Amino acid sequence: MEERVIEREFGELAINMGPQHPSTHGVFRLELHLRGETVVKVTPHIGYLHRGVEKLSETLEYDMLPPIYERDDYLSPTANSLAFVLAVEKLAGIEVPRRANYLRVITAELQRLASHLVWLGTFGLDLGGSLGGGSTLFLYCFRERERIMDLMETLTGTRFHTNMNQIGGVRYDVYDGFDRDVFKTLDYLEKRISEYKEMLENNPIFLERTKDVGIVPQELAKEVGASGPVLRASGVAYDIRKNKPYSAYQEFNFQVPVGNKGDAYDRYTVRLKEMKESLSIVRQSLGGLPEGPIHSRKPVKTPSLFKTPKGEAYAAVESPRGELGVFLVSDGSSKPYRVKVRSPSFSNIAIIPHILPGHLVADTVSILGSLDPVFGDVDR
Amino acid sequence: MAKKVSNTRLVKATLLALWFTLKNLLRKPVTIQYPLIKRPLPERWRGGTFALTIDPETGEENCIGCKLCEKICPSEIITVEMEKHSGRGWAKSFILDLQACIQCELCVQVCPTDAIVMLHSMETPTTRREDLILDKDKLEANGKLYHAAWATGLKLQRLHEPKKPSVISR
Amino acid sequence: MTFAESVSHGAILLGAIIGVVTYLTWVERKFSGRLQSRIGPYLVGRPHGWLQPIADALKLLSKEDITPTKTDRFLFNLAPIWVVVMSLLGFAFLPLTINWVLVNIDLGLLYFSAIGSLIVIGVFIAGWASNNKYALLSALRAAAQIVAYEVPLLLSLLVPAVLAGSLNFQDIILAQEKYWFILFPVVGQISGITFLLAALAEGNRIPFDLSEAESELVAGFNIEYSGMKFAYFYLGEYAHLLAVSILVSILFLGGPLGPLLSGGVWIALKTLIVFLIVLWIRWSFLRLRIDQMMMLNWKVLVPLSLGNLLVAGLWVSLSR
Repeated sequence: MEERVIEREFGELAINMGPQHPSTHGVFRLELHLRGETVVKVTPHIGYLHRGVEKLSETLEYDMLPPIYERDDYLSPTANSLAFVLAVEKLAGIEVPRRANYLRVITAELQRLASHLVWLGTFGLDLGGSLGGGSTLFLYCFRERERIMDLMETLTGTRFHTNMNQIGGVRYDVYDGFDRDVFKTLDYLEKRISEYKEMLENNPIFLERTKDVGIVPQELAKEVGASGPVLRASGVAYDIRKNKPYSAYQEFNFQVPVGNKGDAYDRYTVRLKEMKESLSIVRQSLGGLPEGPIHSRKPVKTPSLFKTPKGEAYAAVESPRGELGVFLVSDGSSKPYRVKVRSPSFSNIAIIPHILPGHLVADTVSILGSLDPVFGDVDR
Repeated sequence: MAKKVSNTRLVKATLLALWFTLKNLLRKPVTIQYPLIKRPLPERWRGGTFALTIDPETGEENCIGCKLCEKICPSEIITVEMEKHSGRGWAKSFILDLQACIQCELCVQVCPTDAIVMLHSMETPTTRREDLILDKDKLEANGKLYHAAWATGLKLQRLHEPKKPSVISR
Repeated sequence: MTFAESVSHGAILLGAIIGVVTYLTWVERKFSGRLQSRIGPYLVGRPHGWLQPIADALKLLSKEDITPTKTDRFLFNLAPIWVVVMSLLGFAFLPLTINWVLVNIDLGLLYFSAIGSLIVIGVFIAGWASNNKYALLSALRAAAQIVAYEVPLLLSLLVPAVLAGSLNFQDIILAQEKYWFILFPVVGQISGITFLLAALAEGNRIPFDLSEAESELVAGFNIEYSGMKFAYFYLGEYAHLLAVSILVSILFLGGPLGPLLSGGVWIALKTLIVFLIVLWIRWSFLRLRIDQMMMLNWKVLVPLSLGNLLVAGLWVSLSR
């Protein structure tokens, strides 16, 4: 880490929302220059959570990689491994059975629900404080998330990083009574999510903290490469599940919520509506689960026997944060030659230096929370 | 929204927030007082530790020392040495370093003889780092302490056969 | 009372207040736990964790007392003492049953608000002397906020005084014999609510706790304090809150008046109810930003309480 004197103008206060901070959503250093309470300049510093996933992928075989990729964006594990697995399947020309696609959709949407619940809880923490109303919302959201993790536990054996996606299909199959458990949980979640929506929708304090705060204009969002709820809240209706569907999303009926102003309140509304849509997608897919195998390759034995043809492929999924893509270059051997992960949070937080100046310090946490970055994703 | 929310709605929303927290006061708390009370683990639970199984009929170890688990582990925590006698392979030594395990269960999936399994146990913490490096004796002793998890190698491989329909049973 | 009597009464009162304040933290943790679907303290003194405050006090006593370099030593050590002394001094003027008060002054109400408004100096000294940018930011916010919210506080405090015709606490209590002041049509309720909001802002409670904001400024003005000095700040805040709750129950809820039970028990019950309402508000709401807080004060609370006071004065003069 280079030692550098922070240059500032006269009359400015240079303050560090340092790597260790209760509300930077991970290790992230935000260097703020304040004049009074107004932010004048901001410089983000990242890289504190870099684990070298892309370089590590060059030393491991294909079948060993999905569990590593799950730890990238650690709040929605199956989205990451799904992106990688789709890229390999595209390159090697492997077809995935329909039942496996449905199961992938179910786990991906359940994880999207879990991730958005974490977002809502930590957003409440940022706005309201860890000793106060925010922590009440936080504990409620995590209580609901435990239900989803209980589902994953009864299906796969671990609660979160389940290693469900494999190249060619899924690992676990449903058990008798899975749909009954899932429907019960979904009904419970639907009731609770409507409760939170009512609690926050017209709440004057919430409106004051999020309306007209952190407005992201459409051109800026497109220029920076934002995606996911951040882009959709600014008015661009782009969702990979609709525009470039993958793994059975084309068979379901769901809507993509779009905001119009691009402030923090719109991002909140978009995510809440996405949660409701996820509930409906899981219901549709469980209702129509087709029979058949869950894997289309022979059982994995020696990983070094699986070779992909030479070439490159790119596959993107809609993670709860945006477009998560994996670009794979192969030289014909059993290890990838180069993997590049296009992380959504990296592009999303590039918005911060453009919109933050002019706001007050208290809006910093509001804006950062509504962009929903995950630093495992930013730094990989 | 372009229109401003009316004042009565704001006051109503404020009181609604208070009402929701009050409603929660009357619900039962969700805390489970671990370790006084332990919650029941689901059937497919795969716990934090491993065991090497022994064939109940012949009393021999199942592990043939084929090193498939060593090759597939992404964290490279397994080290196996093989020896051959009596017509089949054996594992001369088997070291599993639990400190770096990411619980992906790939080693269980590839085992051709169901030798290595994860156990239906909670995380078993220890007080020394040496206790986390499991050798063959500790692994076989673990197998006597807890029973194996639902997913064993042959079961997972049968789930994946493309010809047969999917196995459904709880 | 003789000098020896008042000193001994004062000492007993001090000890009682500190004990009660310590157990108020237990009440808060249990109540907030139940609001959040969890049990509060449990293990220390099963099954209800009633020994938890004692364990906390022992822990804080045993912590290392760190003073950062380049701080103003004298001010750094003065700030927590100042806050505690000013918070505890207010109890001297509050009547705790119908007849018993430690110091009976004719201008009891005025003295109480005067002493209570000196606490902000301690907060500001703490922020300045810490040699820390976060602490300075929070101290500035706290000073602005507390000084601004003095205005609606005093204006709504004066309504019971006007309705009772005197600033003496005993007179105010006796004037509520027929009905409590909070039941007064419109004027009583508005003044009660504005007083509660202004008192929350004075005590740095959510929804007005921007100067202690954990998520932005990591504990604000007491960021550099550890061990017993931090305990003093905590104690001072809760003591002030307790004094304000007693004040609300005396001014608006009739204080020690009530059938069957003795005056002390009634004050205790009413104070507990007011305290629980303050906690309930704390654990249900998010935090306001500093400029929104100021706007709320100058645009809503001050005109409202001023108009309220005028209406109360008009009503009293017309009914004579």
